[in-house]
Amino acid sequence: MGREVAESCIDGVIIEMVSAYCNRFYGSKPELAARRIEAIGYQVGHQLIERYTMERPRFSDHLEAIKFICKDFWSELFKKHIDNLKTNHRGTFVLQDNKFRWLTRVSIDPSSENLEASQDSPVLTPEHKVEVTSMHLYFPCGIIRGALSNLGIPCAVSADISNLPACKLHLDFGDNKNFPPRMLPE
Amino acid sequence: MIVCVAVVGHQNNPLYLQSFTAADDALKLHHIIHCSLDVVDERVNNPKKSGPTLNETFLGMLYPTENYKVYGYLTNTKVKFLMVTTDLEVKDADVRSFFRKFHAAFVDAVSNPFHVPGKKITSKIFAERISGIVKSFGSVTAG
Repeated sequence: MGREVAESCIDGVIIEMVSAYCNRFYGSKPELAARRIEAIGYQVGHQLIERYTMERPRFSDHLEAIKFICKDFWSELFKKHIDNLKTNHRGTFVLQDNKFRWLTRVSIDPSSENLEASQDSPVLTPEHKVEVTSMHLYFPCGIIRGALSNLGIPCAVSADISNLPACKLHLDFGDNKNFPPRMLPE
Repeated sequence: MIVCVAVVGHQNNPLYLQSFTAADDALKLHHIIHCSLDVVDERVNNPKKSGPTLNETFLGMLYPTENYKVYGYLTNTKVKFLMVTTDLEVKDADVRSFFRKFHAAFVDAVSNPFHVPGKKITSKIFAERISGIVKSFGSVTAG
């Protein structure tokens, strides 16, 4: 058996990492912070996929590898499968997780607005909150990109959080190999 | 007895290469390893010839030479493991378990946050583990 770590510790480390990069290291340059966080995720995914694919035969095509990400890889990371997988058969896949584990504690509910305003904490506009939340998605995006690129499938990954805690991940393989190597903030 | 093991990256870049002979034949062994990479490519591109199970990580014996046998293993991440042995009678199961241990050691080595992907593995712990696996392989087949 492998060694185990409390889940709350992992959550804490990830939240602290994101906040350290966004506020302390690159406070004035959110794009740079996003790229750094994504790069960390890339390395993590790159290493994890090597371990999780150890005992299984090689994938014969891209779809098989993506199914592996949706089922086995996802349940190793989040103890659940991806809820929905869609594709346009032209190199774009959409993975939907209806209860994304790393976003279950995030709230951008407007009803809590008054409560926060009354306290000392700075008031955040809804747009700003979305921005802060999206910072937390660069890490999982990086993990997926690292995992797939180690399997020999380079892709671009972006996330969509229009209704929390559901999360949609867009994987873009692009039939040409010239898509940008790094995800850029929109 | 295993005389040489190698780990080769997905672009056929050497990641780890180690021979276990006292004699000065490292160059010859490296040459054998180099040649066997073509056989790996051939096996992967023409899967029909590689036996009943498709896409298995274990590739079986790649080719026999006069004194050596070369076995191969290809992971999902296109990393190749190669092993050269002088044993004439080798059990397939032994080689499989050897490669499984080899792969586990490799995974632990690349999970080191200070390891740069695509660069040579310089970890001493990895080297020790590999020579341990190589030694135990010899003792199992002899016994």
